[in-house]
Amino acid sequence: MTDTKQNHGLTDAELFAPVDHSALESEKITAPRYSYWKSVFRVFFRNKVNIIILSLLVLVIVFAYIYPVVSHYDPYANLMDPNSKHLSPVKAMNYFGASIHWILGAGASGESTFDAIWNGSRISISLAFICAAINMTIGVVLGAIWGFSKRVDLIMTEVYNIVGNVPTILIISVMAMLFTPSFWTMVFAMTVIGWIGIAYFIRTQVVIIRDREYNLASKCLGTSTIKIAMKNILPFMTSVIVTQLATEIPSYISYEVFLAYIGLGMSDMSLGRLIYSAESAMVTPGWEFEFWSPVAIASIITVVLYVVGQNLGDASDPRTHM
Amino acid sequence: MGKYIVKRLIHGLFSVICVVLIVMVLVYSLLDRNKIFAGDPNYNHTQSNNRVTYEQSRFEAFGYLDYVPYSDYIIELVRSGDLPEADRAEAAKLGNTPDKDSETAAKYITRFTEEYQSKGYTVTRLDADKKRNGQLRDGGQPALFATKDIPLPVRALRYFTGMFDIDNIHYAPEDAELVGERGLTFTTRDPVYNPTGTENVFAPAIMGNGTEHRYLLYFDHVFPYIHQNFLTLKLGESYTVNRGIDVFDTMTDSQGKYILSTITYPTGEVMERADDLHTATYIQGSRDATSANSQRFVDDYTNVTTYKVGFSKLGYSFVIGIISTVMAYVLGLPIGLLMARHKEGLVDKIGTIYIVFIIAVPSLAYIFLFKAIGGSVFKLPTVFDMDSASKLMYLLPIVSLALPSVASLMKWMRRYMIDQQNSDYVKFARSGGLSESEIFTKHIWKNAMIPIVHGIPASIIFAMTGAIITERVYVVPGAGNLLTEAINKYDNGVIVGVTLFYAVLSVVALLLGDVLMATVDPRISFTTKDR
Repeated sequence: MTDTKQNHGLTDAELFAPVDHSALESEKITAPRYSYWKSVFRVFFRNKVNIIILSLLVLVIVFAYIYPVVSHYDPYANLMDPNSKHLSPVKAMNYFGASIHWILGAGASGESTFDAIWNGSRISISLAFICAAINMTIGVVLGAIWGFSKRVDLIMTEVYNIVGNVPTILIISVMAMLFTPSFWTMVFAMTVIGWIGIAYFIRTQVVIIRDREYNLASKCLGTSTIKIAMKNILPFMTSVIVTQLATEIPSYISYEVFLAYIGLGMSDMSLGRLIYSAESAMVTPGWEFEFWSPVAIASIITVVLYVVGQNLGDASDPRTHM
Repeated sequence: MGKYIVKRLIHGLFSVICVVLIVMVLVYSLLDRNKIFAGDPNYNHTQSNNRVTYEQSRFEAFGYLDYVPYSDYIIELVRSGDLPEADRAEAAKLGNTPDKDSETAAKYITRFTEEYQSKGYTVTRLDADKKRNGQLRDGGQPALFATKDIPLPVRALRYFTGMFDIDNIHYAPEDAELVGERGLTFTTRDPVYNPTGTENVFAPAIMGNGTEHRYLLYFDHVFPYIHQNFLTLKLGESYTVNRGIDVFDTMTDSQGKYILSTITYPTGEVMERADDLHTATYIQGSRDATSANSQRFVDDYTNVTTYKVGFSKLGYSFVIGIISTVMAYVLGLPIGLLMARHKEGLVDKIGTIYIVFIIAVPSLAYIFLFKAIGGSVFKLPTVFDMDSASKLMYLLPIVSLALPSVASLMKWMRRYMIDQQNSDYVKFARSGGLSESEIFTKHIWKNAMIPIVHGIPASIIFAMTGAIITERVYVVPGAGNLLTEAINKYDNGVIVGVTLFYAVLSVVALLLGDVLMATVDPRISFTTKDR
């Protein structure tokens, strides 16, 4: 036993120390370190398509928020110049000289279509983000309460059945007529009942997992409801919420375009207003660019936002983190 | 199950009533009522006191308030005999200021004021509006009237009680000159088909005298071939969209060119006209009002509608909607199935791109895209023309409506199928040696269809209400734009009526969806007892 040569001249007592048995330590499960958000981004960037789409999104945001500041867009700068109106890109470049402003031609009052579009995009994207932020916050919080409490469920379901049947267009037009149709009126009109659909969706998700076995077990062991909500249900809901957000944001841009088209839009020159005012240009030969460019840019913005959101939603589902 | 359906219907009725109340608050209380004059050409032509009375009469027409001008009160008094005919002119004449009223006028003015003030009305007296030289201004005549805002409960009660109109033989006023006795008669020789009485065509009909409608039950060649007029649905009278016509009729009346045919009128007069004699309704004194009417009709049942070539608003929306719905199911379900069957395959990838395109791109953008492609590449008509016999004009609206629904059905079908693939019974079937196609066609498909089935009644019913953008882009005369049109024209009656109609449809659609789902899947039950 005492083979000191093998032990490099050390005794057993020096080599081995007795370890106390700890009941607490033995309960710990060994696993590689796991950080939720790190994993989300790891999974998200694993797909190379996402990098391309994300850089497109950054480009869109830069153009929408920084470009208008730099370009000093003035819609009426060429109002008095009769030769500057309704120009195709080639004609506009010939007339004004080649610059980024004229790559999409000139509009009805000689303004740069390209500048007008990004100015409109800024308004539309801001509207979408603000509406989504308000609706999602109210919707998620109320939806969670709605899902948890059976008493609230009874009342809210009834409210949902009633409010859900009031035409949204009617509410928005009443708002538009009550106040001036400004940006904030539009935000108010879109959020005054917009949250209820999201709340209902969240409620259904909460109801589905509320009574799962592990939650019942947790409850039986005496965990408080708040802790169950925060630790058991919220992580499960994250991917659902992100996915929902991904559908919400582009849908507000689309809805704004729709409202502007039926004449209920706001007074700011948003993307919807641009499309609405250029509708007559669609059927006029040579003027098509004025109509199709805002339509195309609006579509690109919504698609990019949607795809980024969906893929982020997929990545935020812990089941994909293997 | 029956008990459950009744309970759901009562619940639905409650929410429909609440919806109508909310909408009434929105349109009558929140909106500035003076907006109705914005597009009114007559408003700027009236001046001074006339403008005030014009405003009040307009408010009454739009349903905001009850308005009683003094002259109406006098007419009513003469009719009831309280005021001798001889005093009428003097009593009705208002002085330029109250102290210039004649003694008779003052007496009736006080009576009018007291009577209406006790009923809660506000009585307003406008003195004559004079120019500096003492002459009256245009429209500056003195005026006296009583007004009372209609409170919400009264308005709602009036609306709901007036909704179902049951025709009865006391519709025509007591003093009406009727040809023959009041009452209902059953005939097997409908006079429209037997105008001279010698044709002997068998056509049963129930006719009324003293009723609002001449024909209460009759057969003709227009869908649904048998028609009744005992019960009429009144959803609210239109004021600006389709003046004086009920919302329900606005939606269901046919449109387009007249269909002329040889008609023998009750007097025996034969003419080339489009009149539908079966729809005759009673208007007191109308026979003698015009020479055309006295030539054609023997009594006051002269108000007829006409045969037209086109469908009604609902009809156009429904034809386009139903075909596109069928197309969507026929295309969407198999493609979704195929996508799930070959997950990550080529079909799945292309399908997913299409779904993303439809969901993310604004609907306006792709509808215009379809219109541009259809018009320039396929040379299809892009504008709807009611009078054209071509069926090609239906194609683009149908495609524009179907393609987005295809995407959403594909998405859900794929989702449900993939969810089912991971379930235990599928693993069991696979371990039992069933082939993949057997598992798909016999097991997964059936289970995945259950949530899809739930949406079928709704998609059929909502095919009727039309689509706003599609109908606007292709100029389809459908029902989709009725609500937006009414909102733009401040037609409160139509707004309330259309909303009620939509709310009822949605309650029914949801209920039918639940019932259908429970029928397809015996595991689903809505009553705890059945479980």
